[in-house]
Amino acid sequence: MTSVVSQIPQIQLTDAEKALGISLPSRRLEEWKWTDLRRMITTAYGSQKVTAKDADVERLLKASPFSALHLKRIVFINGVHDADRSQVKVAVAKPSAALATDEIVALGSRLQATGVSLSLEGNADTPIEIIHVTTDGPARAQAVRHVVEVADGSSATIVETFVGEGDYLTTAVIDLTVGEGARLDHIKVEHEAPKATHLGHAIVSLAANSVLREFTLTSGSALNRQNGTYTFTGEGADAKVAGAYLLNGKQHADTRLVVDHAVPRCTSRELFKVVMDGNARGIFQGKVVVRPDAQKTDGKQSSHALLLSETAEFDAKPELEIYADDVVCGHGATSGDLNHDHMFYLKSRGIPESEAKSLLIAAFVGEAIETVEHEGIREALSNYAKGWLSRR
Amino acid sequence: MLEIKNLHVKLEDEAREILKGLTLSVKPGEVHAIMGPNGSGKSTLSYVLSGREGYEVTEGSVTFKGEDLLAMEASQRAAKGVFLAFQYPIEIPGVATMQFLKVALNAQRKARGQKEMTAPEFMRHVKERAAKLNISQDMLKRPVNVGFSGGEKKRAEILQMAVLEPSLCVLDETDSGLDIDALRVVADGVNALRSPDRAMIVITHYQRLLDYIVPDKVHVLSDGKIVKTGGKELALELEANGYADFVGKAA
Repeated sequence: MTSVVSQIPQIQLTDAEKALGISLPSRRLEEWKWTDLRRMITTAYGSQKVTAKDADVERLLKASPFSALHLKRIVFINGVHDADRSQVKVAVAKPSAALATDEIVALGSRLQATGVSLSLEGNADTPIEIIHVTTDGPARAQAVRHVVEVADGSSATIVETFVGEGDYLTTAVIDLTVGEGARLDHIKVEHEAPKATHLGHAIVSLAANSVLREFTLTSGSALNRQNGTYTFTGEGADAKVAGAYLLNGKQHADTRLVVDHAVPRCTSRELFKVVMDGNARGIFQGKVVVRPDAQKTDGKQSSHALLLSETAEFDAKPELEIYADDVVCGHGATSGDLNHDHMFYLKSRGIPESEAKSLLIAAFVGEAIETVEHEGIREALSNYAKGWLSRR
Repeated sequence: MLEIKNLHVKLEDEAREILKGLTLSVKPGEVHAIMGPNGSGKSTLSYVLSGREGYEVTEGSVTFKGEDLLAMEASQRAAKGVFLAFQYPIEIPGVATMQFLKVALNAQRKARGQKEMTAPEFMRHVKERAAKLNISQDMLKRPVNVGFSGGEKKRAEILQMAVLEPSLCVLDETDSGLDIDALRVVADGVNALRSPDRAMIVITHYQRLLDYIVPDKVHVLSDGKIVKTGGKELALELEANGYADFVGKAA
């Protein structure tokens, strides 16, 4: 046997990359500079299908913060749609690979992502929850890709929940199209297993006069990267994208949003509240592009981190690319520990240190959770945050 | 009730002493006014009593109801009955006033081994007291002190005092920033809380407040020490002659 030495220096695939059958983005790419997947994913994930035990599934379904709410459920178990447990009849499809727009989508395609295809018309009162359950088993990679369309003049609430046990990698891509004058409320909860890796991408298209209200809670996995791409295709649309991180230990979460103001008179708001303890690392990258025709754009983003330990770290990278001249755009990022004056005021009224801390942290995260319109979902998210604080 | 003996205090990260041997004895039911020029140590005294971090007691003692107050954490002091009405009440975004009052009251009750108040009991408890201070339901729903006017903040402090029913009230420049009408409402609120088993320390720069909250004793604080003690007429004397007589070195 002779080995062939290539003339071109080649990067050797890591064991994890070989197992996935694809090269992973590294810090050489500006967008991935804080989240070097090539280095951070060390497990060689298989692709075997695991049959879940009923008891495991039932236990994990209850781990959804929304388990007590009346929602229409669509259930995915270990990456596969479970029609029997779902309350909504849906078409399950494998979206075309031609739609690949970034490394996460490409990995999902490589992993043969499947997902639901929903066309929603009218004004649905009951939110739909797409719940993804991963049961313990051999370390493996799985992928979902959902496509949701809200028809012109319609409104809907879509909840995506991710829960699991064990060591696994999930890619979760969702394509959301909001029609003219339509409204979509999109809530995502990443409560994956502590060893898991979660890679997500929400690809959103907003038609004229549409409204998007989005909230993402990031709290479960060891490694999380979520991209969001928001494109305004018609004038007068309004997108509010909010999120919260609740991280501890060595958790790592990186969100990168790109808001593309391609047409005039659209409004975008991004608000992220990050709470970190231990050695957690949080990143928020927000890019706003205002194209030459997109006059009267109103775009603002802010990210705020509350660091509960000296070893937690937050990085924020705002990027504004503005090619129009009649626009209002801004960004702000802050990072710090709890306000000492606030703490003293609460303690001086008899509230013990730990309770005072919890109250202030809940208030800090609450600002982002408050953007959720649906009362039951909002309360469930608040309770989740309270639970996190008491376990901390 | 409160015995302060030869209290010496400095900031943790500065060598300069602020309180330089302050001695004060307050009995239940008494109202003591502490007057003094800016920088005499008035606010430091209020913070040291309420347990704010950043101060170091280098000498002396503070005993409250027979216990070493300085050994207690701020929240323990509050549960024991110490209340500070802040000169500049703190705004706390995201925490509704009503929720804050409930958490505070029940934390204190729990610390004292009492049963927590139920929601209806608590609502009644607050509503009665809020009405007397012209505090609307809307204000109670808003986050603590956020967007409150100066007068509203001071009234909210007195409401907290009325709700928590402390045994020692320390009022730090409660008159600052108040017009005469607001001052009257606040003073009425304070007077309503005067009782044989509750003591008050009213810290103020001006005599004006003492027309409404009439003290049993007036102390002049200068350069970290009490330099003169008298009855309520001492306040009038100060109003007429200023502090120059007592700030010896400057006179």
